[in-house]
Amino acid sequence: MKIGVYFCKCGTNISDRIDPQKVMEEITKLKDVAYFETVDFLCAEEGKEFLEKDLKKKKPMRVVLGACSPRDHEKTFMNVLSKAAINPYLMQMVNIREHVAWVISDICKASDKASAYLKGAVARVQLHEPLKPEELNVCPDVLVIGAGPAGLKASLSLTEAGRKVVLVEKNPVIGGMPVRYEEIFPNMECGPCMLEPMLGDVLHGDNSENIELLTLSEVVEVAGYLGNFIVKIKQLPRYVNPKKCIGCRECIEPCPVSAKNEFNCSLDERKAISFAFSGGLPNFPFIDDKVCIRTKGENCRLCEDACIVDDAIIFDDKEKVIEKNVGAIIVAVGAELYDCSNLTNLGYGKLPNIYTSLEFERIIASNGPTEGEIQGFGKKGPRSIAIIHCAGSLDKNHIKYCSGTCCQSAFKFNQFISKKLPNTKIFHFFKEISVPGKETFQLYNKALNNPDSMFIRYRNINEIDVSIENGRLAIHYSFSSGKRCKSTADMIILCPPVIPSSDTAELGSILEIPADRYGFFEELHNRVDSIQSKLKGVYLTGSCQSPMDIQNAMNQGLAASGYILSGLPEGKKLEIEPIIASVDEERCSGCRVCNLVCPYKAIDFDEEKAKATTNSVLCQGCGTCVAACPAGAIKGNHFTVEELLAEIQGVLT
Amino acid sequence: MNTKRNENEFEPKILGFLCNWCSYAAADKAGTMQKPYPANVHFIRVMCSGRVDPQFVLKAYEEGADGVIILACHPGDCHYKEGNLKAVGRHNMLLRLLKQFGIEEERCRFDYVSASEGGKFVSVITDMVGTVKELGPLCLNGK
Repeated sequence: MKIGVYFCKCGTNISDRIDPQKVMEEITKLKDVAYFETVDFLCAEEGKEFLEKDLKKKKPMRVVLGACSPRDHEKTFMNVLSKAAINPYLMQMVNIREHVAWVISDICKASDKASAYLKGAVARVQLHEPLKPEELNVCPDVLVIGAGPAGLKASLSLTEAGRKVVLVEKNPVIGGMPVRYEEIFPNMECGPCMLEPMLGDVLHGDNSENIELLTLSEVVEVAGYLGNFIVKIKQLPRYVNPKKCIGCRECIEPCPVSAKNEFNCSLDERKAISFAFSGGLPNFPFIDDKVCIRTKGENCRLCEDACIVDDAIIFDDKEKVIEKNVGAIIVAVGAELYDCSNLTNLGYGKLPNIYTSLEFERIIASNGPTEGEIQGFGKKGPRSIAIIHCAGSLDKNHIKYCSGTCCQSAFKFNQFISKKLPNTKIFHFFKEISVPGKETFQLYNKALNNPDSMFIRYRNINEIDVSIENGRLAIHYSFSSGKRCKSTADMIILCPPVIPSSDTAELGSILEIPADRYGFFEELHNRVDSIQSKLKGVYLTGSCQSPMDIQNAMNQGLAASGYILSGLPEGKKLEIEPIIASVDEERCSGCRVCNLVCPYKAIDFDEEKAKATTNSVLCQGCGTCVAACPAGAIKGNHFTVEELLAEIQGVLT
Repeated sequence: MNTKRNENEFEPKILGFLCNWCSYAAADKAGTMQKPYPANVHFIRVMCSGRVDPQFVLKAYEEGADGVIILACHPGDCHYKEGNLKAVGRHNMLLRLLKQFGIEEERCRFDYVSASEGGKFVSVITDMVGTVKELGPLCLNGK
């Protein structure tokens, strides 16, 4: 075999510390080494030109390069080989700079070590195989799970780029949580006003024909991999035909039964046929079959009778399972709030007038249960409202982290209350204040400068005791000094931390993506790749990845669509790196050890043949399965057993 | 050669397995820091420490290595999620096997080095060389 060896002097970086002459004498003794060339700077333009010409002239079958770290220039030289019409994987790079010249002061020892490394490379490279990236057809369509800020932003930007999106939302309405907020921090914008243009674009915009919106729907099964997922979606019956219904609300009033309205935190009731809340989009009602008396055998048709169009109500609507083929999946299912009844000392759920931040959001919302009025305290409103920050955050007994958004909600409430009820005093009980960024301090400053707002720093949430004294809420707490103190309020708003939503774990197991230690979906890397999940082709956006505000959720939605537009190009084939594993069926004994060790679920098991097979899209080429296979049936491209054994032998002898 | 050498001093041959993402990068870092360490350890690059097959380690001893060192990403830092944990499991298994061959545990070391730990890399390597020097040459099958 004709092997060409190139020795880069790296100026004098290498040649001052390693004697090229001595190395050449050693290496040219090897049977298959056809020539040994010394080059000044192999990575410089002249060096690359020389290498290309020399390769074209000498036509070696394999190439060994003694130079710097392959982490620096392996790709550079692979490209040169390609230009010289030599398969780039028929090369082995030896790191004689970082691993030899720069760390060994004795030139004799350094030269011996460089020779040993080159011998290892010469032995190994003979076994190298020409490898080519595999090309795969992909489906460019995208599944977006969750129609909150992150999911909406992702859907709109993908469809703007011409992609088709299947948007799955478990609720009858879209817009996520903020569409239920009267005002949004930090600029006190109206939530529905801010989001409705986006909702409008999704429902009736220029690209809306490319968004297939499935409300009352959940993903129940996912198979496949990046570029080719098969997804099953279960859609509950709505009993209302969106193509016929005009959203006139005539059907609501006659309905004879009602139940707690969970969209208003159960603070009021809704009819069996109802809208989640007024202004909720898409603008047509749904029938809750757990409430409707027809499911209990009664032949009530009052809603149908009241309906002013024909066939808008479909009493025999059925649950459907819809199958879709998509190339990528964006998870945007949002989060929920920590259950304040875990903080038993705060009286939530037991004493009156204690609300969570989300309940208060609905109370002050003009489309909420009280149409924005704080009721029960007369015209002047409550004398004082206590806002308890960090209700379970930064606490080893509850939630360890800080959500970073609750303080901003609290100061938003401060602003709202002081405008609406100018006579009401506001107490902020806090453990820590968190208002990062260039805008969020403004509402904090307003609260600080408000003579009716007071700040009290408590030591520990567990030391706060709420009780009723003289018909008002008495709040006993400890300062950091330990001194006990008491304040009185008519209403308490608790600001609990944001936690993963209760269906996160189930969706995680359907998608086969892991959760982090707090239960949020785990990122590929929490700094450099927080949008990618650990499974290729599944992206994480919004508060299902981590607690975050609307701005960040929107940005993540955009980032995920960017990943998909660049990584899953329409009309192009997906290129798969050839450094992956493959199973030799003949040798596979079907023991499934590889299944267990693969961190990417890249190994399938053919039950019929009782053989393992690798999925080249999911495989990342780590080689763990190759080392684990007791039958030696798995080959790890470019790091085969034979190649590595040859290298070991070459280096040591 | 001009350098003075103690002819009697035993210079062990040690083989090191480095993962592409952490420990190989740490060796590169030691290089760019120009931190000298003994020349005795020869490194083999694998993509992940999880690729280190016990047969590679045995092959190294067979080919005359007096020691083997496997360096992986710290737990939780593995580029491939948990290949390093597979590697540490295999290393534990190897130690039991090596005992049966009469090979001392100290001749097969496993450690964690991150990409930024050029200093730790140098001290781990230096320490390993010192340990194997003290143990003396590895004699297998009476050789």
